[in-house]
Amino acid sequence: MTQDPLVRIDQITKTFGETVALENLTLDIARGEFVTFLGPSGCGKSTTLRILGGFEQPDSGRVILDGTDVTRQPPEKRHVNMVFQDYALFPHMTVRQNISFALELKGMDRAAIRARQDEIMDFLELGAYGDRYPGQLSGGQRQRVALARALAPDPALLLLDEPLAALDAKLRGQVQQELKSIQRRTHKTFFFVTHDQEEALTMSDRIVVMNDGRVEQDGTPEELYFHPTSRFVAEFIGETNLISGEMRGREGDAVVMDWFGQTLRGHASGTTPRPGETITASLRLEKLGFHNARPETGNAVQGRVVRKTFLGSRMAVDLAVEEAQGATLRAFVDAETGQAVGSDPVWLGWDSDSMAVLRD
Amino acid sequence: MIRGNRIFLSCAYWAFVLYVFVPLILMVMMGFKDSKFIGFPIRSWTLDWYSGVFADAEVLSTFGYSIAIAVLSTIASVVVGTWIAVLLERSRFKGWGVMFGLTVLPALVPGIISAIAFRIYARYLGIEPGMGAIIWAHAVHNVPFVVLVVMARLSTLPKSQIEAARDLGADPLVAFLRITLPYLVPAILGASIFCLLLSFDDFVRSFFLGGYDPTLPVLIFAKLKSGMSPEINAIATVALVLTAAIGIWAERFTRRANKDTN
Ligand SMILES: Nc1ncnc2c1ncn2[C@@H]1O[C@H](COP(=O)(O)OP(=O)(O)O)[C@@H](O)[C@H]1O
Ligand SMILES: [Mg+2]
Repeated sequence: MTQDPLVRIDQITKTFGETVALENLTLDIARGEFVTFLGPSGCGKSTTLRILGGFEQPDSGRVILDGTDVTRQPPEKRHVNMVFQDYALFPHMTVRQNISFALELKGMDRAAIRARQDEIMDFLELGAYGDRYPGQLSGGQRQRVALARALAPDPALLLLDEPLAALDAKLRGQVQQELKSIQRRTHKTFFFVTHDQEEALTMSDRIVVMNDGRVEQDGTPEELYFHPTSRFVAEFIGETNLISGEMRGREGDAVVMDWFGQTLRGHASGTTPRPGETITASLRLEKLGFHNARPETGNAVQGRVVRKTFLGSRMAVDLAVEEAQGATLRAFVDAETGQAVGSDPVWLGWDSDSMAVLRD
Repeated sequence: MIRGNRIFLSCAYWAFVLYVFVPLILMVMMGFKDSKFIGFPIRSWTLDWYSGVFADAEVLSTFGYSIAIAVLSTIASVVVGTWIAVLLERSRFKGWGVMFGLTVLPALVPGIISAIAFRIYARYLGIEPGMGAIIWAHAVHNVPFVVLVVMARLSTLPKSQIEAARDLGADPLVAFLRITLPYLVPAILGASIFCLLLSFDDFVRSFFLGGYDPTLPVLIFAKLKSGMSPEINAIATVALVLTAAIGIWAERFTRRANKDTN
């Protein structure tokens, strides 16, 4: 199925004075996708969103929406709506009036506006609050009104700029699920911005990791988590062991490296290292298995426990690998396994596929 | 030590209040005195001076004249002032500082100087002294207050409000009318009341630019020249009550409006 993308961001560069906010950014977004833009503060996420919304003009490059070049179109002409980080609800209008603002401007008649209001308020369970002013609502309710207002005109693309940042942790988890289910039920294309990697992992079909105005990696949450291609992604998402050593050669698909005298095998997807180079690989904490005897996995080393940290459902265990000059590895294991290991050395094993060789 | 300070401060405060209000109280009292001579002792009281004021066609029409001038000059100040405020607040263009300085200057020029300047300029332009000239001078003088108050309010309007309106399909004009303007209402109302009071109270500009019909302060001045009488106290008391009532109402209204929209 090779459909035209809904949005094509074509080689966009945007600078503010000396600051390069976006550098030659190219990205396609398919219809009905839940795409998350993830990256640290200041990496250009909002700028991208604002260019899509029409609030900023790129220095160069184009934005194609549904086959039309909209780069120079003002926001009011675009079939795109935004949920602002501060919600930007109109304080002098009731919930109903906020929702109907766009509908009136579209020239819909009163009956149709009323019907659409009811539909969207029903959908987002706002029925009881129609006549309230934003100042009379809780944070979570305001967030839903902002969403209702943006969805009301039935946009082709919905932009969300860290819409959950203002909510407390418990409510945030709940709203994450809600947002995801709303997106599924409406089949709308959501372009969601966050700097919270956990949020990105739980919500997205696809995550685009940004760093310094450029795309670091673009893939499903699982791909990014287990097969990061760059050191930045490996460290930004989740916790990981970074293993540095000298590239020795290849064995089929696997990259062979030397880690303080230990031979390890990893998997390289975003890079093609050459023998003799120093390379770094990422090994997720939960990919390390504990064994009593040398395991049959692609990689196996012996380690001695130096610290255990109880985390409730699981345990973080730090181990020193004597044969690798005492270098340490950290593993996540279930609490029972963690409690069982004592002071004797334990075998650690992991597949070569679960160790991702990174581009530096 | 702290206690002593407190007592001293509160004494100073009440002394200040007395200092401000004793003349006003005396003025109000004299308007009820049953004698042509102002001063103590007051032997008997009367409402005659007030009935005289409300029966005096000249006084009443002067009241109306002053109010008309105040309302019309305020409308002009508010329209021009809001427009300049929006222009200045929107962007920091080249020459912004100069423009801002020129905008607030009329508020700083001494009344007598600006009155004379207006008089000369009016003659040069062929504008007859009278209502139009007074309205013009008052409007120009009051614009800076509108600009400052409206700019202060505008600077607290989050940029995302306008962007949200644009995002939902409003062109810049619609966004201004439906989002910015309602947000500015408390500021515009506050500024309007201030302009009304300034205009109603103005003597110097009205005196220099007036034609045959006097405004209220000019009338009081004319009456004073022919001798102090409790009639003047009565007129002044009516004006005082009117302006104080408007001022207090406006203050409460704008405070409530500010609270609602924040
Ligand atoms: N209006 C602006 N003026 C100047 N610099 C800006 C402006 N908007 C963004 N920037 C700069 O561009 C970079 C990217 O900003 P932004 O897109 O807001 O990042 P993010 O949303 O990922 O935190 C930052 O360095 C920021 O300081
Ligand atoms: Mg941002």
